[in-house]
Amino acid sequence: MRKRLLKLHCLLLLTFLLCATLPSFSQSPPASAAASTSASASKPITETDLANTPVPATDARTKGDADGSLTGTASDVSVSDAKKGITIADLANQVGQNKIAINFVWTLITGFLVMFMQLGFALLETGLARAKNANHTMMMNLVVYGVGMLAYWLIGFTIQMGGVGAIANLGGTPPLNAEYAITLFGKPFGLFGQHGLFLMHGGTYDVGVMVLFLFQMVFMDTGATIPTGAAAERWKFSAFIVTSFLFAAFTYPLFANWAWGGGWLCNLGANFGLGKGYVDFAGSGVVHAVGGLSALAIAMILGPRIGKFTRNGRPQAILAHDIVIVLTGCLILAFGWFGFNPGSTLGASGNGGLRIGSIAVNTMLASATGLLAAMLYMWIVYRKPDASMTGNGFLAGLVAITAPCAFVNPVGAVLIGLLAGVLVCISVSFVERVLKIDDPVGAVSVHGVCGIWGVISVGLFADGKSNYGGSWNGVNGSVTGLLYGDASQLVAQLFGVATLLGFVFVMSFVFGFVIDLLVGQRVSAKSELQGLDLPEMGAVAYPEFELKAEM
Amino acid sequence: MKIAGVLVTLLGFIVSLLSLHLNSTGVRLSVVLFGLALSLFGIIGVLNRAYLKNPIWKKG
Repeated sequence: MRKRLLKLHCLLLLTFLLCATLPSFSQSPPASAAASTSASASKPITETDLANTPVPATDARTKGDADGSLTGTASDVSVSDAKKGITIADLANQVGQNKIAINFVWTLITGFLVMFMQLGFALLETGLARAKNANHTMMMNLVVYGVGMLAYWLIGFTIQMGGVGAIANLGGTPPLNAEYAITLFGKPFGLFGQHGLFLMHGGTYDVGVMVLFLFQMVFMDTGATIPTGAAAERWKFSAFIVTSFLFAAFTYPLFANWAWGGGWLCNLGANFGLGKGYVDFAGSGVVHAVGGLSALAIAMILGPRIGKFTRNGRPQAILAHDIVIVLTGCLILAFGWFGFNPGSTLGASGNGGLRIGSIAVNTMLASATGLLAAMLYMWIVYRKPDASMTGNGFLAGLVAITAPCAFVNPVGAVLIGLLAGVLVCISVSFVERVLKIDDPVGAVSVHGVCGIWGVISVGLFADGKSNYGGSWNGVNGSVTGLLYGDASQLVAQLFGVATLLGFVFVMSFVFGFVIDLLVGQRVSAKSELQGLDLPEMGAVAYPEFELKAEM
Repeated sequence: MKIAGVLVTLLGFIVSLLSLHLNSTGVRLSVVLFGLALSLFGIIGVLNRAYLKNPIWKKG
């Protein structure tokens, strides 16, 4: 009996294995079929072929198309002359339009994902603040969207992208062709763009330009919302509005032009032989370091919250009021990052668009190692896997991989995230204990320090295997870092870091300092102790809670 | 003191920029690193120290 059962089992197993392997045989076409497919593929299409292409009859369509085989056929190709029918020119135009349509849809949807990150920031920052400042912190995260967008529409987009030139994935964007440049060391130095005011000037009322504006606007807004975290619980609302306007109109667009808009940094390769120029794929430097350094300048000017340091300068923990929404915010941000990084290809079709999978995987991997590294660091050093620092490690990995995500392999991404997770823990401690700067959410460390690390990591880990149309920043070949043989790429990246520290920080500080002189950056001590919700916003976030004012 | 901090930080950027005039990658790297260090010193060593001279926790 046992023997029979054993035989039956063996038979079943054999049948299962046979069934499992059968589809793989049927999926491989015979060599002759493959050869004939290849021969027909190389044969040019003629007008006769097109005329003879079978299209479904109208009657067939009226009965419905349950399996989808009758919808989307040659009859859906737009024709220029109905009498002539479909021509090769019609077909080529349709293919071209389809490519651009795919890229438009891709860029818009990823842009919407980036816009959703605003909610992530709002929850993260509000959760880390105390309940008495929840309305104020939430409002800053909401209002920065409107103020930033308006400033960017008025002038920021022009400065950033007005001279970017052709973006092939979005159909060429020909109106964005006016970059103001000076000559320095015998080479052109692009400083700012000139076309695009109000999205009307210089022919910029254009379908491709609109897509680019939306995508770039939400990036700028991500940067603009970073200082609200570092300045939380003590920033005067009016000063915040003016600061955000200046950030969106000038600070961010200027550096973004130099890095992405045809300015001097991205041309360091073409003009000075430094790798492929400054390379920052999705903005570790442009978005995060600019936001983080602005946050540092403002936090410095504002000074720490009352009670953050004792009289002898020892830092005190000020607890987050809702760790649940902090971690919810982190997860929303990680989801939005799938728009941030893969979306920066500005297309899924053509010029390396198929690297989107690799970019998304690198993004995921770096976030995972950033999270684990920070959690383990806190666990080992402070004996507990601190939730807010684990969240910060998660974001640190994402910030760091933002610049290199398109140029590194998965092992590189894992290492970049891992180092970012450790770096953010050390940096938060350094900023608080040594610099004695109060940064309630760790924005300076997460975005500033890890943003700079991301920029440098391109110059180290770029593996030279990426291909986005055969060149990058006008220099032939792939972006290659020091570990893969090109030291000059690292130098180009360090030029970017020098510009961030020496120019962007200074610009942010000067703006902040002038605003402090004119309208004052900090709320009164009385308002701060009471909580900013009532004195600044006129309503508390949680009216049914009993909140304790500090004395 | 604050103005000095801003100027030292800016000077670091200018030093880095001037290295573009040079040809050797190694020399450029050294000069940019020096410029970076100067900017960091401007921010941490001069500007922040100016703000720490009379901090809020020592008042009142």
